Amino acid sequence: MKDLRDAAHRVVELALRQGAKQARATTYKNREIGLEWRDGRTEKTSEATSFGVSFQLYVDGRYASVRTSDLRPAALASFVTESVELARAIAADPFRELPDQALYEGRSSADLELVDPALASFDSHACRRTAKEFEDGARSGTSASAILSVTSGVSVNHSQSFCFASNGFQGDRSDAWITLWGEVSVKDPNGRRPEDGLYAAVRHLRDLPSSAALGEASTALAIGAIGAKKAETKVMTMVVENRVARRLAAALVSALTARRLQQQQSFLDGKLGARIGSKHFTVIDDPLVSRGLGSRHFDDEGIAAKKLVLVENGVLKGFYVDDYYGRKLHMAPTTGSPSNLLLRGGTGDLESLVRNTKDGVLVTGFLGGNANSTTGDYSLGVEGLRIRNGVRGEAIAETNISGNLLTLFQNLSAVGADPFPYSPTRFPTLVFDAVQFAGA
Amino acid sequence: MDRRELLKLATALGAGSVSGAFGLGCKSTGPAAIRSSSHVVKPTPAAITYFERFGVTEGLIRQTLRVALGKGGDYADVFFQHNVKSYLALEDGEVNRASANVDLGCGVRVVKGDQTGYGYTEQLTLDALRRAAATAASIADGPSRAAPTAFRADPGPYEAFPTRYSLKRSWAEVSVREKLPLLMRLGEHALKKDPRIKKVNAWLADEAGAVLVADSRGRLVEDIQPMTVLRLECTAEVKGRRETNNHTLAGREGIDFYTAERLDRVVAKAVERTLILFEAVPPPAGEMPIVMAAGGSGILLHEAIGHGMEADFNRKNVSIYSDKIGKPVAHPFVNIVDDGTIERSRGAINVDDEGNVAERTVLVEGGKLATYLHDSISAKHYKVRSTGSGRRESFRFPPMPRMRATYMLGGPHSKDEIIASIKTGVYCENFSNGQVKIGAGDFTFYVKNGYLIEDGKLTRPIKDVNIIGNGPKVLENIDMVGGDLEIDEGGWTCGKDGQRVPVSQGMPTVRVSSITVGGQKAG
Repeated sequence: MKDLRDAAHRVVELALRQGAKQARATTYKNREIGLEWRDGRTEKTSEATSFGVSFQLYVDGRYASVRTSDLRPAALASFVTESVELARAIAADPFRELPDQALYEGRSSADLELVDPALASFDSHACRRTAKEFEDGARSGTSASAILSVTSGVSVNHSQSFCFASNGFQGDRSDAWITLWGEVSVKDPNGRRPEDGLYAAVRHLRDLPSSAALGEASTALAIGAIGAKKAETKVMTMVVENRVARRLAAALVSALTARRLQQQQSFLDGKLGARIGSKHFTVIDDPLVSRGLGSRHFDDEGIAAKKLVLVENGVLKGFYVDDYYGRKLHMAPTTGSPSNLLLRGGTGDLESLVRNTKDGVLVTGFLGGNANSTTGDYSLGVEGLRIRNGVRGEAIAETNISGNLLTLFQNLSAVGADPFPYSPTRFPTLVFDAVQFAGA
Repeated sequence: MDRRELLKLATALGAGSVSGAFGLGCKSTGPAAIRSSSHVVKPTPAAITYFERFGVTEGLIRQTLRVALGKGGDYADVFFQHNVKSYLALEDGEVNRASANVDLGCGVRVVKGDQTGYGYTEQLTLDALRRAAATAASIADGPSRAAPTAFRADPGPYEAFPTRYSLKRSWAEVSVREKLPLLMRLGEHALKKDPRIKKVNAWLADEAGAVLVADSRGRLVEDIQPMTVLRLECTAEVKGRRETNNHTLAGREGIDFYTAERLDRVVAKAVERTLILFEAVPPPAGEMPIVMAAGGSGILLHEAIGHGMEADFNRKNVSIYSDKIGKPVAHPFVNIVDDGTIERSRGAINVDDEGNVAERTVLVEGGKLATYLHDSISAKHYKVRSTGSGRRESFRFPPMPRMRATYMLGGPHSKDEIIASIKTGVYCENFSNGQVKIGAGDFTFYVKNGYLIEDGKLTRPIKDVNIIGNGPKVLENIDMVGGDLEIDEGGWTCGKDGQRVPVSQGMPTVRVSSITVGGQKAG
């Protein structure tokens, strides 16, 4: 960490000497090992350590944000000089300044358990063993003969960074995570080769699910997609499995940023304090979750991390407000980007929520589509299983859902108690009434 | 992991009625002249010119490759890259945001059979390169192999390396002050164009830089790779309702690309595309015929067939096209190519990231599946020549088969005749993104602007609707093809296995007899 700290200080010092009024630098180092395994042997291995520095310059009321991986001292010095010149060449912006020091204060000192010492010795052999277990699990069942191919992979990341700002902020960050993923392709008599798979990303090795079990479940998913057909074009209930619910979270988050508000590109503009969803819709950004994949003590601008209530019982309560757009909008900064996004859990799990669904679709995957953050209109491809009278039916694919996000959130009728633990978006299983499906 | 994504750098944009004179056009240099076999060509010694400034020498490369082959890999290569990206943004009437990104580094790859070992470093010192090479070497486990002693420029079967995007002035020589007026003009003109336009965002991105590929067969090539993208985004308000849309231009072009005429056309397009959204009626839902407008509709090809034709998926037996080479997949008037040779297009490359000359590859000829897109690993597997499709996002990644510019050749029908043939359907004009599952073959594309077709005529506008289909089925359903091929001028970026590369696409007007439209009303 000392080398990162020294480098960050050096860049800020150089920038100030070149005439910057303020500067902030973040230096980082990331070590990644990765292995991909396919059909009984290693497909690909990779390993590297990456370095770089990014910095923001505030020069004569002007602003530039730059990054380089060329850290040769002479190259870095001339890059700082050029970057100061770059800022000088553009228009002044009265809203550009480093954040008020008060925003740096109150930083939590809680141990977020972001580094598992056991991961340091998780080498490429361990990656290979774990990836192989996925395939062994995938091929362990009675449907193994339908399998065309199994690919799996493991990667381990160790990351360190140091951030220093000329108005008094400094902070360091170390974190590590391991990702396991795999995909199974199977033969469908109708000529398709449906593929499906599962993944898990965790900070602590002991939180990693069994690779073999993940493989076995992946095969079941792919086999379940055999014979998939379009759903009917009709209005039905939609049950969204927790592991794919983040697609809907992304549509919400993009409309919750202060930039979108200020640029008049958010359908949630003017709705603070208003109802935008059902009573089940409570969404919180919590940066201080122990072992959370999005956990942090401070954000990219150095703002001390705090819990941010975005939606409470259906009422819009907050936005992602960074320092710059906060100044433009006269709103108090919260944080500019999501950390861990939580949707308050209800009762039950996937099984009970499916059982309670009379006529609907269990969505196990999204395919493409988009949401218009200015208007809230969305149209997304989905795949999954038809549900009738609480029982899973045939596989469906080549089907779309569409509508407006405000209506969708209002129609959130039940929420599981099963947040997905392997993503920074920890959404549970969600049930929406009256969703327009378009298929056959 | 299984989804391949295509994003418009910006979202949405248009091709619609873009005049050929302003578009990138589709001036293909065609396949470069192939050497006649009787003609003996003296090997040309390779010259390191661009990377000399970073201390890269043949000696350094030789020593790196020696370590890379130290454990008996079949093949090894090094990929040096220097890339300087600049970005200027206009918001609230001022260009008040600048950013820059410098990337410098080298990736070392070792191939054993179809297995790959990879390492990279951002420090171009012998020590760091040897470490990356040792990491990559560990994919093999045998006695060392000899590294080349000298390097040569080797354009393979071609007479010379092509030059598809040399610039009079590199972006490295263009000052910020020269770029500012472009954005100011966009901003001012867009606001002036219509009082309903309330907010304007514009940005200009440019890249200067080069790559160097050298391999264990003694081949060495450098390629200077410029790029630029200009985007204008407008937000308008009408009676309390707001809509946002945009237009982009992209290419391996220099600053002279941005003529006053081009800039004015960007303004006209972005404003028009935004304002028409207020007139949109809800799109229909369900199966129906659609017409894909000439230009950006190539997104359908990219998703419906392009990814499925990338040979790595076929080598692994996981593509829906794995057993279809030589078989009819479409009407005989359907011809689809993936082409690295379109001068100055965003998807153009002189050589791929394995040093092979990029060519024009026929995917579907006369309705029959012809050739996969190959990198060197899949080419060896299938015992064919690489199509020059081995691409990577940066030195941090090994290459794999990727598209370049994917389009359909013109067919026998006319645009008017195609539209007139449909009683009830949808006309798709602008797109923001698409995605495919290459095994199931299901794919989607998101229509930002389109029209209803009623009784053979374009009637009311529609917007924000996803269309979903199955690749082979949709190819069969392409039953009319116009003669009006256009290559889209927008900036598309294709994502696969976590790597993004710039691509282009194009299409003549085409009819798909049936596909699922994801609207909000039973159609």
